[in-house]
Amino acid sequence: MRIAVCVKHAVDEAELKVDSAGNPQLKGAATKMSTFDKNAVEEALRLKASHSGEVVVVTVGTLEAKKSMKEALAMGADKGVLVTADPMSIETRRTAELLAAAIKKGGPYDVVLCAEGSSDNYSCLVPPMLGEQLGLPYVGYARRIEVSGQSAKVERALEDSVEVVEAPLPAVVSVVSEINEPRYPTLIQIMQAGKKPMEELAPETLAPGLSAAPSFVSGMKAQAMARKRRVFEGPPDETAKKLLDALASEGVLPR
Amino acid sequence: MSVKVWAFSESVPVANEVAAAASGIAQASGGSFTVVGLDDSGPKLAGEDKLVLTALVPLSGSPEAAAAALAIVAKESNPDVILVGSTRNGKEIASRLAVKLGRPCASDVFGVTLDGGSLRGKRNIFAGKLQADMALPLPCVAALKVGAYPVLPASPAKGAERAVGEVATKTRVVEKREKQRGTVDLKGAKLIVAAGRGVKKKEDLSLINDLATSLGGAVGCSRPLSSDMGWLPEEHHIGLTGVSVRPDLYLAVGISGQLQHVAGIKDSKVIASINTDKSAPIFEASDYGVVGDLYAVIPAMLKELKERHR
Repeated sequence: MRIAVCVKHAVDEAELKVDSAGNPQLKGAATKMSTFDKNAVEEALRLKASHSGEVVVVTVGTLEAKKSMKEALAMGADKGVLVTADPMSIETRRTAELLAAAIKKGGPYDVVLCAEGSSDNYSCLVPPMLGEQLGLPYVGYARRIEVSGQSAKVERALEDSVEVVEAPLPAVVSVVSEINEPRYPTLIQIMQAGKKPMEELAPETLAPGLSAAPSFVSGMKAQAMARKRRVFEGPPDETAKKLLDALASEGVLPR
Repeated sequence: MSVKVWAFSESVPVANEVAAAASGIAQASGGSFTVVGLDDSGPKLAGEDKLVLTALVPLSGSPEAAAAALAIVAKESNPDVILVGSTRNGKEIASRLAVKLGRPCASDVFGVTLDGGSLRGKRNIFAGKLQADMALPLPCVAALKVGAYPVLPASPAKGAERAVGEVATKTRVVEKREKQRGTVDLKGAKLIVAAGRGVKKKEDLSLINDLATSLGGAVGCSRPLSSDMGWLPEEHHIGLTGVSVRPDLYLAVGISGQLQHVAGIKDSKVIASINTDKSAPIFEASDYGVVGDLYAVIPAMLKELKERHR
């Protein structure tokens, strides 16, 4: 069984600094593998463990994205494919197009896995776009995947319901973070990851003809958090009273 | 510029929200808007002009089928803006439409306006730390953040029906279970008490339940309690990847306040928190905070509430 898993190298939202004017300091910001992508990699490795085969990590990113790729390789993926384009400066559709082209080139795959969304943008648009562009069945928000023979049974979590969906393989599936607990690579695995094959693909040769559409983000600013930030300290019976008084004066306690 | 706007959601209440946004931008541009529904949703939809799509297969249960039907009709009538409710299925439908129709697309957008040849709007990024300004050139598809617009009252008028015939799907829903209703309705709750890692054992959740009962509120939790510990079902999980809430009072108990959690509570009227760690980020996101041990502060609150209600 051949599994492609898409990951994104993203700015770490927790470490991102904002200046006094509210402008984010994106240059030189700390980066990481998008949080939920680890669940997608983990699921790929679990499928490989029970069905044998190969796990290929596919990324659209700058050269820095090799860090995330190495992390996925250290977790146990076999090979990496990097399409060198900056996802921050291209349209979501273009990112999906490039992923689709890289997956077609390295295919055929039985399963293509993604996280539901990325920890930076969390638009959740790329996985269904990928399914649509590859012309494959797509199932989103999986919290359980069962593969038998040439089809997958996927339990997907929606806002108010849970569905079980059957899809013939090959298929694209996005996963939610509840699906599993990602493993931590060992030191030996981390050292060996550097020796695993990593392929670099230029977007122009991979998907000529396609336009490098710009991102539609025209600006970004820190969100003002207009909260009162009053903090009570002291013995519990006093702070409990102070808190209840404050909430009562806001009119948010039941009478 | 007079634009043609479509408002769509597979969920009827969300469709009426999207209709409110569509009506706003259509009026401002002297354009028109059509509320598009599926199967038998016609009479429940709000708006003057209605179009209900039907096919040989039910469309409402499958985002794949819904997108296919919408694309067929959109290619004929070519609306400038297609607004979709940003539910999980809605985001899939918007993505599929964007590819099928070759249009730009964004999700979880709010505050939409028309500006010349673009649809402008905002969306939260980096777990809500930043707000991005979006400008999507027309024609486009935009999935609107759920809960960001008031719900238009549904008018009983029936709209036109359009049968699209055969719609091919690659996937098949074999089972559908509604999540238990009544046990938790965090989206509509006026008061929420939410528990985090500060709660040491599953049994101790009784403290949180007692406080919620005493305040007449619902119980929620941060991600670790539902996803990692499994102490509460998934539908209690509040945050970026869980439920977004907007109660009058959000009381965070033993929650450190990671960005992903705060992203789901930003629209609350008042946020209060109890945490032992004075430097916990939750205090930055709170109106009122108590630095203290929940195991001491909650019993003190319960005692005080009992006395006040006597």
